[in-house]
Amino acid sequence: MEAASSERRAGTRTAGRRLAAGRRVEPAAFLFLAPSLVLFVVFIFWPLLRTVYLSFHGSDIVGRPTIFVGLDQYQLMLSSPTVRDVLANTFLFSLMTVVPSLVLAVVIALLLQQRIAGIGVFRTLMATPFAFSVATASVVFAIFFNPGVGVFNSFLQLFGQHPVGWLTDPSRALASVAVTTVWLQLGYCVLVLSAGLGAIPEELYEAARLDGARALAMTRHVTLPLLTPTLFFLLVVTTITSLQSFGQIHILTRGGPAGATTTLVYSVYVNAFAFGNSNFGLASAQAMVLFVVVLAVTTVQFGVLERRVFYR
Amino acid sequence: MLLVTVVIAACGSSTSSPPPNPLDDKASPPAGGVELQFWHGFSAGANQDATNYLVSQFNSQHTGSIRVTATYAGNYDDTFAKYKASIQSNQLPDLVQIYDIGTRFMIDSGTIQPMQVFIDHDKYNVSDLEPNLLGYFSISGKLYSMPWNNSTPLLYYNKDAFQKAGLDPNKPPRTLAEIRDYAQKLTVKDSSGNVTQYGFGAAIYGWFLEQLTAQADQQYCNNGNGRDKSASKVNLNQPTDVNVVDWWTKMVGDGIALNTGRNTTDAQNAFKAGKMAITLESTGVMRGFQSAVKFQLGAGFFPKPTDTTSGGPIIGGASLWIVNKKPSYVQKAAWEFVKFLEQPQNMAYWHTHTGYFPVSKAAQSDPSDVAWRQQYPLFNVAIDQLHQTKLDKASQGCLLGVMPATRQAAEVGMEAAITKKSPPQKAMDDAVASIQPQIDQYNQAVGKS
Amino acid sequence: MSALSRTLTYGLLAAVTFVLLFPLLYAIAGSMMTPQELASYPPVLVPRQPRLQSFADVLRAIPLLREYANSVIVSLCVAAGQLLTATLSAYAFAFLRMPFRNAVFAVFLATMFIPWEATIIPNYLFMADAGLINTYGALILPFLAAGFGTFLLRQFFLSFPRDLYEAALVDGCGHLRFLTTILVPLSRPALASLGIYAFLQAWNQYFWPLLVTKTEEMQTLQIGISRLRDIESAVAPNFILAGTVLALIPTLVLIYIGQRHIVRGLTAGALRG
Repeated sequence: MEAASSERRAGTRTAGRRLAAGRRVEPAAFLFLAPSLVLFVVFIFWPLLRTVYLSFHGSDIVGRPTIFVGLDQYQLMLSSPTVRDVLANTFLFSLMTVVPSLVLAVVIALLLQQRIAGIGVFRTLMATPFAFSVATASVVFAIFFNPGVGVFNSFLQLFGQHPVGWLTDPSRALASVAVTTVWLQLGYCVLVLSAGLGAIPEELYEAARLDGARALAMTRHVTLPLLTPTLFFLLVVTTITSLQSFGQIHILTRGGPAGATTTLVYSVYVNAFAFGNSNFGLASAQAMVLFVVVLAVTTVQFGVLERRVFYR
Repeated sequence: MLLVTVVIAACGSSTSSPPPNPLDDKASPPAGGVELQFWHGFSAGANQDATNYLVSQFNSQHTGSIRVTATYAGNYDDTFAKYKASIQSNQLPDLVQIYDIGTRFMIDSGTIQPMQVFIDHDKYNVSDLEPNLLGYFSISGKLYSMPWNNSTPLLYYNKDAFQKAGLDPNKPPRTLAEIRDYAQKLTVKDSSGNVTQYGFGAAIYGWFLEQLTAQADQQYCNNGNGRDKSASKVNLNQPTDVNVVDWWTKMVGDGIALNTGRNTTDAQNAFKAGKMAITLESTGVMRGFQSAVKFQLGAGFFPKPTDTTSGGPIIGGASLWIVNKKPSYVQKAAWEFVKFLEQPQNMAYWHTHTGYFPVSKAAQSDPSDVAWRQQYPLFNVAIDQLHQTKLDKASQGCLLGVMPATRQAAEVGMEAAITKKSPPQKAMDDAVASIQPQIDQYNQAVGKS
Repeated sequence: MSALSRTLTYGLLAAVTFVLLFPLLYAIAGSMMTPQELASYPPVLVPRQPRLQSFADVLRAIPLLREYANSVIVSLCVAAGQLLTATLSAYAFAFLRMPFRNAVFAVFLATMFIPWEATIIPNYLFMADAGLINTYGALILPFLAAGFGTFLLRQFFLSFPRDLYEAALVDGCGHLRFLTTILVPLSRPALASLGIYAFLQAWNQYFWPLLVTKTEEMQTLQIGISRLRDIESAVAPNFILAGTVLALIPTLVLIYIGQRHIVRGLTAGALRG
């Protein structure tokens, strides 16, 4: 993730310099790279090309590519009445998972920085969500969300509220899936941020304290700026993860109700693999869109945001 | 990139050979006997146990000649998807259980041997099978797959709740309008206005809409429900269906029905927990309901959209398909196993242990079956319902290559209406529009448009 | 810190911990309740008479131990494979002279930005054509190499004292011997981090195993758990929760006991650079 910055640093290392002073090439290098390269070609680059290929073809009833259809699949996808919903859901889902995850994780990580007795226990326990996978978390939350007998609605009623259709109301379902996701990745985000906080040299705090900085000011002017590389890392990771989210949607809502939680990835799944569809052409066109979206988002994040990151 | 294209095109080209006639092939079985791979869609539970019992019975009767290995391949949707995938990878099973709505695809896939071939060759008598069952799985008088685990939907209700609401616990509602009346009386609120018991609730399951369409004696897709020739359009937006969706929407909107979403498990749990007094489900869950509920369980005929005498439910569930890409002795062995499952005493075992239909009249009059139904009279409801159904194009059900996807589209439409995203007519119009390209593509691909 | 702010801090910590722990606590409690208790209102949070029946039911209904074994086998193989391929390629990038080194390294980095879902259809078709559907091969092969691992180890190797490397070569130590006898033992922390990271990633996978496994015997744990809702004999929540609790045990133990090591594994990417 920190590719750019590490490149910069690697360049100044003596190891890097001396290597460039080329003597003869070592053939062993190719042998050492071969396993990875072969695997990348077989399972990443070649399939990517094949996705492009498939997206320009029709398919027969079991999904084998048939004739070249040009941009028909893309046209079909764009003319579908649901395309805007799918893109909006994808975008909204990212927003609803990334922002709360990062904000909550910062708050919790700062809370865990307090030097008080027993903080280690809290730190250990708060990592609990991290023990859950997408599947286990979704299965448990599905039980919470049950409109008739789920515990979330029971709590609402205890507090005098009316029960709601967490997953059955289209205006709520995406948020409910997002809540599950935020909970699931909070453990990870807190762990990473805590590690980031731990790496901030104590002297900096001491210096700030000598300057008379108060707790809030210290957080604002010392901690957060020094935390930006970690935050940036988390931002990139959680954004990509959210764009790729599948399990929670598959388990909780199957893209419903009425398409309210159908994201790009889920749409690829439905067209290619669900309900005996095997419409690989259309699904490949959607997969290409996913590829471009992920690429665009990461490029923007690296291009625009990385410059504001405070590297030590 | 051009090279890539050429290579892939070469790999992707399909070679479909004509199905070998299993009776011409002179290949002889291996000395150790025939190994049969049988895929089914039953997860652990009564159905899988019964399947395994019957398989082991068969195996012990055919020691040294045939050995069946039964494999759970995931739920119906998964089994179907996996069968499709295995056509690609040429790793087909020998015998497979596929749900009703996969019928058209199975025939078009060119990978199956019609049951009729074996029936004609063996002079096997199918006249004892329930005509409604034969009706669904026959196309132009030819039986393609053997009915096995078949069911119809029923209306289940909570007799205790009926009593408390002053309703006759032995008179379940028969029409949608009646359900609404009952549900109003059955809905109970606590002091703070929260509903503790809804009058009605069922999974948003496309199967129910298909059934209600047939109950109204309407066809779900064109060209005689796809039985005169390949269907090219679905009728999801016809008045009957829109009225059903409208009824459902209002039930939920008025707070007398609980919307538990598409997952049938969630609806079942809510019904079992007494959260809703009336629900719709398959005959196949009757045993599960009986053992789980703490109240008196009632079952009635599946409702009709309006008070008519015509129309009836479609026979649902799944059937057995023999794969044709295998040597003749494998196919014949599979046929032996199919015949075994259809034997009256085995069918009676199947019925009494799973709740699925006894597909033949002989099975229904098997002493074990009769005795069992005396003990559990609710199981008569499904049989009576079937016997009262006149077999016609509507109750035969729609035959469509992309039926699984269509059911999905119907569910999206129903959900859009029930959750007030779009008005019922528009929701169902959208559903029809969304599935049309897939129907066209499918028909184009099999050259039947 | 004043007594008031100390109390406040503890209160806040306790509240947040409760929220983060609730799903686990509820799953454990619920797995020991009856279906009636789970469905009752007001909600019951502690079973009146804890029962273990649901655990026995789950173990009977699905081959959970087999699914466990599948997940362990797959995750271990993936972790071992990534360690091997990443060590080799990182070594090449860090120590060996070759043309276009930066370009090749860019190719490795590029793999991190191609979402697996964008290539999932051709990969699935490839497995189908190769007859690998429903085998360990399909579950393992695509993940044996990862750009992230190479990146991580290269960073670590670059910080390695160059003199030691040259001295070893002067002594007639071949690349492989240097790698196995000197570099790997010294890089154990980085390798452990990558191993844990790769293991957990493989352990948690959902989409791909969902597509390429066909039978219960080949399913990974994650798929088995998500399928509990399809089990017709016992769709009650207590049963599903019991299965979930059983599935969580290894990762719970891992994060409660080995948290420090995991933190290093997971944050390796974040803190270097």
